[in-house]
Amino acid sequence: MFLRFVSQSLRRSPRRKAMTVAAVAMGAAVATAMLGVMLDIGDRVSRELRSLGANLMVTPKARSLPVEIGGISFRPVSTADYIPEAQVAKIKTTFWQLNITGFAPSLKAAAPLGGQNVPVEGVWFRRRFRGTDGSMLEAGLRTVNGEWKINGQWIDDRDRNDADLRAMIGGAVARRLGLKPGDTLQLFGQAFTVAGIVSTGGDEEDRIYVRLEVLQRLVNRPGQVDSVQVGALTKPEDDFARKDPSKMTPKDYDRWYCTPYISSIAHQIEEVLPMAVAKPIWRVADNEGKVLGKIRGLMLLISLAALASAGLTVWSVMATTVLERRGEIGIMQATGASNGLVAALFSAEVALEGAAGGLIGSWAGLLLAEWVGRQVFHNALEIPGMLGPVVVGAAIIASVAGAAQPLRRALLLEPAVTLRGGE
Amino acid sequence: MFWSFVIRAVRFRKRRLMLAFSALAVAATLATALFSVYSDIERKMRVQFRGYGANIIVAPAAGRQTVPLAAVAIAERQGAVAAPFLYTVGSLAGEPVVVAGIDFSRAGPLTNYWRVDGARTAGAGECLVGSTVAAHFRLKIGQRTELGIVRGIVTTGAAEDSQVMVPFGLQEAASLVQVRADGARLTEVQAALARALPATDVRLLHAVAETEANVVLKIRSTLFLLTVLILAITTLCVTSNFSALVLERSKEIGILKAIGATEKKIAALFLSESLILGLASTTAGYGLGLLVAWWIGRQIFPESAAAGVGVNYGVFLPVAGVTLAVAAAATLAAAARIWRIKPAVILRGE
Repeated sequence: MFLRFVSQSLRRSPRRKAMTVAAVAMGAAVATAMLGVMLDIGDRVSRELRSLGANLMVTPKARSLPVEIGGISFRPVSTADYIPEAQVAKIKTTFWQLNITGFAPSLKAAAPLGGQNVPVEGVWFRRRFRGTDGSMLEAGLRTVNGEWKINGQWIDDRDRNDADLRAMIGGAVARRLGLKPGDTLQLFGQAFTVAGIVSTGGDEEDRIYVRLEVLQRLVNRPGQVDSVQVGALTKPEDDFARKDPSKMTPKDYDRWYCTPYISSIAHQIEEVLPMAVAKPIWRVADNEGKVLGKIRGLMLLISLAALASAGLTVWSVMATTVLERRGEIGIMQATGASNGLVAALFSAEVALEGAAGGLIGSWAGLLLAEWVGRQVFHNALEIPGMLGPVVVGAAIIASVAGAAQPLRRALLLEPAVTLRGGE
Repeated sequence: MFWSFVIRAVRFRKRRLMLAFSALAVAATLATALFSVYSDIERKMRVQFRGYGANIIVAPAAGRQTVPLAAVAIAERQGAVAAPFLYTVGSLAGEPVVVAGIDFSRAGPLTNYWRVDGARTAGAGECLVGSTVAAHFRLKIGQRTELGIVRGIVTTGAAEDSQVMVPFGLQEAASLVQVRADGARLTEVQAALARALPATDVRLLHAVAETEANVVLKIRSTLFLLTVLILAITTLCVTSNFSALVLERSKEIGILKAIGATEKKIAALFLSESLILGLASTTAGYGLGLLVAWWIGRQIFPESAAAGVGVNYGVFLPVAGVTLAVAAAATLAAAARIWRIKPAVILRGE
């Protein structure tokens, strides 16, 4: 009987019902699109900001103080402090390994070139290695500094080969010596071919990059590495992150350890590489946090504003619907329906409309969010699957809440008054 | 006579009109807030990127060791922040150490990212030390060294950690000059520096400049798309409310027609009602929207709140234009019915 009432009521005046459902759907679509974009934009921007280069620097625990200007060391290099190349890949075994987007080991040396000492770095450009789970992973300069402008080509060093005499040189070095890709230059008594010229505007302009195993052979430091740059996706620092981990309670320590703060990632790298210290490069890390924090906060507040107005919209639509149907309520009451029955009838109907609107709206909202993602970030956003059901639930709640107040008013009035068309 | 009709119509159906009013006001609020935020998001985001420090480096040209100090004045004339840095090898407790001469009065905005324990600047006879140096020599704030009294300990995670920083003296030249130019005028400043200082290598820090441009553009376009989407959806939603204002009143329309009102006159009646309603809700929404924008601005960008940023009064016209157009269009679409209504049929109750 009750169900028949509801289904009959739904069939009557389909146009009005459709309008109500459409209004709820639009509110739900706004909410879904906003939330969908908001939830993923932090990660997207975080990836954009990674083009600034490494945010962690891993160096050996040194006994001596580095005395370096522009990459040239002013004291004899101590070969006692180093990180074994064989262990560098352990960086990809830490708790937050998936947040580590790239790392690049390097060995530093200097060679006379054109009348002055030029810093030479032996690096991995793009090395493939097998991870702990057996999958192939990539590391090297390209995974950290993929956005560098290169005139010529990146060196491909997928496999070890210590006879590959190719070099990538900084733009300032190239300008000073008048070198182009394809030219040769003399380093350590060997003729290197220029594969590409690196233009970054930074220190890299004065450097020469060669393959790590080549430099290790030439300076006789096999298997040694001086530093590892690491690029990691991090959570912006908050007050909690600035606490001293050694003074935390075990529970706090676990929370800190299991959050991708730059400091906890650094700590985990030091755990797997006990001979090294990992330091955040604050110029990159600090600002990354600040910029991300601003963007996340901004999107959150805008979403809140949009959510509030979507909720209000659904609310007002439902209120209108009930208001328009006061006559029906009066007739039902006059023919003997109890207030409880009428209330249940209307709530069921409104909830159904809310659910239908919510479903259509969240589906459309997801499409819209994805469209925004493709337009702006050129690939689809990763939207949590829970978002749809949550929005549908919220739409139902907002609908019922909006209908409640006018329904109560209508029920409290004498049917005679309602039917006369009065207040 | 016409206006008294309109005013009475408004008075009689307060509740119904309140709903239409609030729905449109919500749309106008959202539009005002989003437009306000959107209109100066670029400037605000660029301010955030200032924290990255220099985006242009003036380095010595090939074969030279130093950069003339004139670079600083030239950059400052272009409206940029610039500071000279001079690196030498000095000695501390018998060990060699890199000594950086820094013009602290100028370098402040370029070194925002430094984490400093103690003072951020050092005067004559004072110095700041990097954290590695401090740990190596076991230096504390206030301690005397041959390079000056330690005023602060600096952590950056980069070269500064193993340097001692002293005030830039009366030197004629610098090892390099760091410049922070406004992101939008970057290439202009770079070109001006390169023209004025042929014996230097003026380098654009691509990573900083491009990431800034990229992120600012992406945030802007995201906001733009969302603003347009939300505006489209909310206004669509409002149209049904305004159509209902006409549709509900078929009976009254019938009566009006029966007593001799022309269709045009009735349509005008409804249209003016909608426009009054639209104007009222736009004004309310505008006020509320500015408040929301101001609140968002203050929450997210507190440092620029003093300048009254976050509120853009200029968005009234576009918002009013859109909301009024929507109200009018919705009313007119529904008003087409007026011509079709037959008083006799309506009044008989069919």
